[in-house]
Amino acid sequence: MSVPRAVAVRGNRPPGLLTWLLIRVTGLLLAVLVLGHFAVTHIVTDVAETGSTFVAERWGSALILGWDWLMLGAAVLHGAAGLRVIVVEYAPRTAVRVLTIALVALSAAMAVLGSVTILRVILAA
Amino acid sequence: MTTPQVAFLAALGLILVVVVAFAVLVVVTAARNTGDSGSSATIVLRLSRAPRDRVELGRWAFWAHRVSGVAIFAFLALHLVDVSLYTVSPGLYDEVHVLYGSVGLRLFECGLLVAILFHAFNGLRLLAMDLVDIGPLGARRLLSAVVALTLVLGAGGSAIILAPVL
Repeated sequence: MSVPRAVAVRGNRPPGLLTWLLIRVTGLLLAVLVLGHFAVTHIVTDVAETGSTFVAERWGSALILGWDWLMLGAAVLHGAAGLRVIVVEYAPRTAVRVLTIALVALSAAMAVLGSVTILRVILAA
Repeated sequence: MTTPQVAFLAALGLILVVVVAFAVLVVVTAARNTGDSGSSATIVLRLSRAPRDRVELGRWAFWAHRVSGVAIFAFLALHLVDVSLYTVSPGLYDEVHVLYGSVGLRLFECGLLVAILFHAFNGLRLLAMDLVDIGPLGARRLLSAVVALTLVLGAGGSAIILAPVL
């Protein structure tokens, strides 16, 4: 399939290529990070055994902290990009702008909350 | 039941309402756009055709991908809040976290697992379709593999998640 030339206005890059790349790259990361996270916290370990003692032990490892932070960033970017498409396709035209602003605010709040949590764990160590 | 626990369950209930409402929106919009009556008789007739003719399965996967994506993102928003309680105080984290081991939450976790499995495998299928020219029949065969993997791993995982309360 070829990209129609008329819509490729900015340089030679087809529109939407960056969003396409963002969703695919973060998605590939999440397939490993999220399935791994779920397997450790629900399959390998019973969920009732994943209280604060379990969290303290896991977050003593820089590898796990890095895993969780990468997973947070990838998930928020992936979800925000996906939800943006949903807003554009389902919301009434007049509501797209305000819903996009709300989506960006929610995603930013989630990224900040998760990052502050991880940073506080690092600083307390 | 303490206040943080009630707040957690109320937020989870709100999330479930949002996800169901979004699923209804997706199905209603899809039925309008495709002119599909959506009756179960029509669905059975469609599924009884030869596999190569069931092209609408790709559309159904597309809608299921959206609904599962919204569900996972909605849960993530709540999960970030309950995990952040750990840095407030480990005791407060445990107070809310104990709910995850209840029968109701374990059933929710089984649903979450199925949503994650489908979204992950179908997403990998979409990536494969973008990068390799596998054609419509190849895409449908891959979808069968996605559904099979989701059902098998979902059932196996659910059995492990529910085992302590059975």
